Order: sequence, then C-alpha cells, then structure tokens
Amino acid sequence: MKAVNNPLKRIAIIGLPNTGKSQVFNNLTKKYTVVANFPFTTVEMKSGTFNIYNQPYEIIDTPGIHCLYIHSEEELFVRDMLVFKQPDIIIQCIDANRLKQSLTLTFDLLELGIPMVISLNAIDETTKKGILIDSDAVSKFLGVPVIESIAINDIGTKELKDTLEVARKGTIPVQYGEIIEEGILAIEKLLPNSISFKRKLSLLFLQEDPFLMDSIRSISETDNSAKIKEKTEELRSHFRGSISLLINQKKNAWIENICSKTIKKQKITLKSFPEFFARISRHPVYGIPVLLGFIFLMFYSVVNFANVIAAWMHDTLWFPIENQITHVFPSGFWNEFLIGDYGFLTFGISNAILTVLPILSVFFLLFNTIEDMGYIPNLSVLLKRISEKIGLSGSAIMPITLGFGCKTMATLTTKSLRSKKERYIAIYLIAFALPCAPQMALNMSILGRLGARAFIIAFAFLVFVEIVAGLFLNKILKNDNSNDFIQALPDIRMPSPKAVIKKTYYKLLWFLKEAIPIFVYSALFLFIIDKIGLLGGIKNILKPLIIGFLGFPIEMVDVLILCMARHEAASGMIIKLIQVGKLNYIQCIVAVTITTMFVPCVANIMAMIKELKLKSALIMVFVINASAFILAGILNRILILTIK
Amino acid sequence: MNKTKIKDEHLEILWKMKEESKDSIDDLKKSTGKEYDIDIVEQLSKEGLAEYNEKDKKIKLTEKGEDLARILIRAHRIAERMLHDVIGGDFETGACEFEHTVTPELIDGICTLLGHPKKCPHGLPIPRGECCKLSKRTAESSVVSLTDLKVGQSARVAYVTTKDDQQLHKIDGLHIRPGAVVKLHQVYPAYVIECEGINIALDGEVASNINVWKDINHALHKDNISKGSSCRDIENKKKKFFGSFFCKRRY
Repeated sequence: MKAVNNPLKRIAIIGLPNTGKSQVFNNLTKKYTVVANFPFTTVEMKSGTFNIYNQPYEIIDTPGIHCLYIHSEEELFVRDMLVFKQPDIIIQCIDANRLKQSLTLTFDLLELGIPMVISLNAIDETTKKGILIDSDAVSKFLGVPVIESIAINDIGTKELKDTLEVARKGTIPVQYGEIIEEGILAIEKLLPNSISFKRKLSLLFLQEDPFLMDSIRSISETDNSAKIKEKTEELRSHFRGSISLLINQKKNAWIENICSKTIKKQKITLKSFPEFFARISRHPVYGIPVLLGFIFLMFYSVVNFANVIAAWMHDTLWFPIENQITHVFPSGFWNEFLIGDYGFLTFGISNAILTVLPILSVFFLLFNTIEDMGYIPNLSVLLKRISEKIGLSGSAIMPITLGFGCKTMATLTTKSLRSKKERYIAIYLIAFALPCAPQMALNMSILGRLGARAFIIAFAFLVFVEIVAGLFLNKILKNDNSNDFIQALPDIRMPSPKAVIKKTYYKLLWFLKEAIPIFVYSALFLFIIDKIGLLGGIKNILKPLIIGFLGFPIEMVDVLILCMARHEAASGMIIKLIQVGKLNYIQCIVAVTITTMFVPCVANIMAMIKELKLKSALIMVFVINASAFILAGILNRILILTIK
Repeated sequence: MNKTKIKDEHLEILWKMKEESKDSIDDLKKSTGKEYDIDIVEQLSKEGLAEYNEKDKKIKLTEKGEDLARILIRAHRIAERMLHDVIGGDFETGACEFEHTVTPELIDGICTLLGHPKKCPHGLPIPRGECCKLSKRTAESSVVSLTDLKVGQSARVAYVTTKDDQQLHKIDGLHIRPGAVVKLHQVYPAYVIECEGINIALDGEVASNINVWKDINHALHKDNISKGSSCRDIENKKKKFFGSFFCKRRY
C-alpha cells in the first residue's frame, strides 16, 4: 500500500461551557483529560493528534465561550486562536438541552465561514425530558452536518469522525441592511491586509467589542485604530437606536425561527428526581443537610473503608517485607536507609502506596461521583450566602467552589473575574484554609481515627479562619467594580459508573506518577540531612516554636518540611506519628489544620504566580504561612483550655 | 416644524450631549443635522437657557435650560417606556411627537402607572420626576422586576436594563431576553430562574434589572392584534419600525 502523506489539518473544538468539549476530545484522541459536569473544567487549551483514513489531525480542546463578543480573558484566548490562527475545521459541541443558547455561538461561527461540524450532545437527556430535536432539519438550516451523540458513553464518535471529511462552510445567516452593510465594508478596508474574517471583525467593532482593538494591534504593524474608531463612531451616530440591539434582534429572529421549526416539546413535563434533587441541594435550608450528608458519607467511607483497607494492606503486605529486611539487616546503615525513620521503602513506597493510595481511591470514587452528578455548581448557590458577607459579589464563588477539587485549577479559573479585588481575595482564600480533594481525604482519614468530634472541631476552625481572612481582606483592599453572579446551573444527571471509575483511575495514576518520585526524594533528603546532623540543628532552632508555641512533639518538623514537598506526604507522616503514639488528640487536630493552611502545593504556587505576578504571589504565600503558624498556635491554646 | 419644536429639539440634544459629556458646538451641529439653526442657538443664549461661548465654540445648558430640557427628555423617554411596555414593540414613532404636547402632570401620572421606570428602552436614564421622589405606587404596574415575583411564578421578560454591555451580552447569551418566559425557583441565597429549559443562578442586583410582565400571555396579545389587522398594515408597520432605526437622530 502506498503511504499517503496528507498535510496535517487543525480542528478546534468550540462550545459553551459544560457542553462536553473535553469528552469529545477524549473520544476522538483516545487520550484522557479531566471531564466533569461543571463549567470551567478546561481552563487552558489542550491539543492532541489522531489519524482517520491516513489523514492526520491536530485537535485543540478549548475553554467554553458564549459568543465571539468577549466577556473575559480566557474567552479572548479562544477567539484569538480562531481568528488569528485559523483552524481548518471547527467542531461545535452543543448540549442538546441548551440548543437555543448554543445557536448564538453557532451564528457567530457561521459568520466566520470556517468549515464546521456540530456535535449535538446529551441527546438522550432531551429525549427523556420529552423534547425532540430534528437534527436533520437543524443541519439544513445551518448548512453544516449535525451529528447526534452521547459523548459520555462514546456514542456518535465514529459518525463524527466520518463527517470530518465533509465538514463545510455553513450558510451565512443574515444580511444587516444597507447602513450596517456599508459600514462593514468601510471598516473592512481599514483592517490590516494580513488578517482574515474581516467581515466578522468589522461587525464586532460596530458592537464596540472592548478587546478587539488590542488584539489586532498586537499582530499587525499598521495601526489604523484611530480611523476605525472614528468610522464606527460616525456610523453609530447615524443610527437611531443601537447597532448592537439591531444585530442581536436579527440574530434572535434567526434563532427563534430555527428553534420553532426543529424542536418539539411535549406539553406535559414529568417531575423528575434529578430536578427535585437539584432544587433541594441549593435550597437555603434543605441544602445544608444535603451538604452535610455528602460530607458525612465521605467521612464515613474514608474512616470505615479506606482506613480499614489501608491497615489491612499494611499488615498483610508491608509487615512481611519489613520482617524480611530486619532479618537480613538487623541494624546499621542499610536497615536505616530502607526501613528507618526516613527509610526509602517505609517512607517513599509504603507511605505512598499503602497509606495514601487507598484513602485517595475511596475518596475520589465518591468525590468524582458527586462531581459528575453536577452537584458542585448548585453548591455555589448555597455558598453565596457566606461569600456575600466577605465581599465576594458573585462570580468569585465558582472558582472558590472548584478549590474543593483542585486548588491549582481553581486558581487558574479566577481569570474570569474582572474585579481585581475579588480576584485577589479569591486566590487568597483558595490558597489558604481550603482543603483540596486529596487534602480533604487525608484529613478525614487522620481525624477519623479520633472520632467525628475532632473532624468537626478542625473543620469548624478552618471555615472560621477562612471567613475571617475574607472579611479582613475585604476591609483592607480597595473597592472596585464588582462582578455579577450569573451562573448557568447544569442539570443533575446520574453519573455513569464507567466514567467515574475511569476518572478515578486517571487521577490515581497521575498521583502515583507525580507523587512517588517526590515521596522518594523527600525521604532521601530527610535521610541525608538527618545523617549529616543538619536536621537536628534545624530542630534545635525550631524547638521553642514547635514545642512551646504549637505544642507539638519535635517530629512535627519533619511533617512541615514534607508539607513543602507534597501535602500527601506530610499527611502520611502524621498518620505514622499517630500509629506510634506520638500525637495526642489536640496535637492531631492542630497538625491537620496547620498542614491544610501551610504552603500551598508547588503547582498552586505556580498558578498564583501566573495570575498575580511573582511579587504579589510570593507575598501572599508568605502571609499565608505566617498566619498558618499563628492561627495554629492560637488553636492549640484554645483546645488546651477547653478540652480535657 | 415650527420654531418652538426646533427649540425643544435643540434643548433635548444639549441634554443628551451633557449625558455624554460633550460640549462643543460641532457636536451639536452633528447631532441636529439639517435642523441645526444658529438663530435658535442665539435665542437660547438670549433667553438664558444655554451658555454659548463663540470663542472656544463651547455650548452648554444653564440651570434654567436644564430644567426645561429635563422635562422634555423625561416626557420623551417615559413615552418610549410606555409604548414599549404596553404595546411591546414600536415605541419610536409615537414618542417623537409626544414630548411637545403633554404636561408634566400627565407624565407623572404615566410614570406612576408604569411603576417609576428608571430607564428608557434604549437603556438611557429617565430623569426623576416629582412622583418618583414621592414614590407613589398608586396603580399596580403591569411590568415588575423579577425580584417582585413570588417563588414558583412564571413571567414573560419585558426588558432588561444592564449596567454595561458585557453584562447585557452575558444575560442575552443565556437567552434571558424580551419575550422569553422565566420561572422563579428560588430567591435566597441567590435567585434561581428557569429560562429556555435551563436553570440559572443570579444575584439580586442582576435579578432586579430583569423586568417582566407578570401576565405571561402579555406579548401574545400583540400577536392577536396583528392577526386582526390586514397584511398590508403589518408590512407598513414593519417598514416603519425598521425605518425608525435609521432616523438621523436618537434620543
């Protein structure tokens, strides 16, 4: 067979937030990127490659956008990519539940005139709701192929692949009437020759797009911005009413027409359990027991399953090895190097695989189920109650809520906040006393050994300091224009067990890949500084702080050092200290709170630097660490006074 | 057009210029177009309604002029609001002539009836009248804010006022727009509404900017009226409606 070298074609996956773009990306590339039932799962563009019938494709997964008129920075990246690095094909992902909302974006994309295919996702859900979409008719209206699919179950992927070959430019939706059309032509002439999509860009200028001028200036040498501005102002003043309004009216009429002819709804809507559950979960009263129920479920499972599994694995898998080693090296260097206090095997391997891994497995299974249900955006409605009091008006809630999953990702999503003040507060609160999913899992495991009361004390304290920090920052930072809270809430759906297991598997795999080397290196590091006497020196210096102020045994210095490398390693060490009886009830609670607050993980610090610039980020990390120590010391005193 | 009307138009444009913080005579010329009349400008300055500085070519309303312009602008925008809310469409044609013929008392009456609207359908501020200051709510307005609905109630969106374009695009992108039916599910800690099949959470400020007809069949009345009239009428109406967008001036 002759090998054909076709040129690489670039595909961009575009769509509203939470319409299954990443899932389609995974289905096409057979790679895995994290997918979840909430908006902003993808914060950075990802690309991958695949082949169909000898045709190589590069495919780009993008963060969600609503239309080509831009609201925030990350949407801007997507538009700049589309407009200035023109892909060969666009796949627009549309959630069938939100066909009407998605058509606004479709309209804009059709105006660009890039060949396009539409993946009409979650088609099973609309059918269940009694909504029937005639996808062939939609395709006729748009002039591009529309493929029905259920992306989470990988249904429709083959059809999508087959259609890529016949992706075509759609029908340009509307003409705007004489004055606007002439205006478009006039502005087109002022745009630099090198850029494409002049018609669409001119339209965006007429709608007073706030970012476009800068984008064009950044790629072109000729600067016609003053002329363009003059021209658009002239056109706007010739107009009775608003140009944006007229353009939107045309757009809406086009959308209404398509929807009225392609969507059929049955008149009776069934009361569904997911809808009922969604309402309960964001209700100001009933929502709280639901939240507490989920926390209890996770706590119970970690304590009664994960801890038991971990203990069993420790007994059956680790003891024989330890015994064997003790048998060969009863004492001396090798004994210490392998299974001593900072032993390579004890610390690096057994800690990661036998202690931390089972806890994370159980926790992630539950957490991912809750995440895929779509519970988290509903939780953001509940959290609004607290956030209002600490000066976060609205859109900051979603990033902070995401912090319960992964703080790094949550920090990156603060890009969508326009208010500098809120952005700063959000980044601070995410980095500070908010436990991310693995931290939460390990905290539950540690405190579960002491009983539910310890868990309640520690978390009440963390919530308290988080609120105080928010209030304080709100007071000292200068007010600026606040953001509005406008958040589409996804439908609650039954999570697919396969998808949950797959996601858990990948998260654990990534943990092992990233963490085991860090566990091993930090064990080696501690082993070496211990051997050369440096560790002893540090401990001597820190003695008043650790023992006097925080009330810890001196071994907690190891925990804090490990905390800088990887929080899971620190938690593993705490578990070990509990097992050998070195931490009492109060010390455990204080240890958990200080490790939760102390140094955000390296990835989170990198994200902070990216969002805040180096100096502010480092100041913030310093302040967080200083307050972690002070607050933990105070907590220690309070507990000593109140708990016998 | 008679002299008084042209004078009124000049006053209104000077008010608009004040809103946009413009004060040069060129802006006035541009905005008035053919109607620009230097005699009127001089008359205004003679009557103490405007200060015209020939040297820097600057012109602005005096306090007395502002009082007069406020009444005119208020009448015009209230008229637009009324036509838009009640008829639900062609608000431009009627409003143009309106401000020259009504009394401030009548305007206050309409304003009260509409529930003291703050903005005209273009989103420009309506100057406050005596009635707004007293905040009389004599008749129950047919248009209310989303925040005035009860949980479980459905309503049809009449108009949305927003503080900036970006917010408008965001709301519009979720299809919360005139004509859409919304159902209020929850008011605390955040407003949750259902619109076009999806649930949306909003904060109080955004929700208060969404104004709705409590009667969800409201806009449908309009269709019924249209059906009653002949096709030709509708064609003419449409022409007038779109035509009005292309008028030289806007208020």
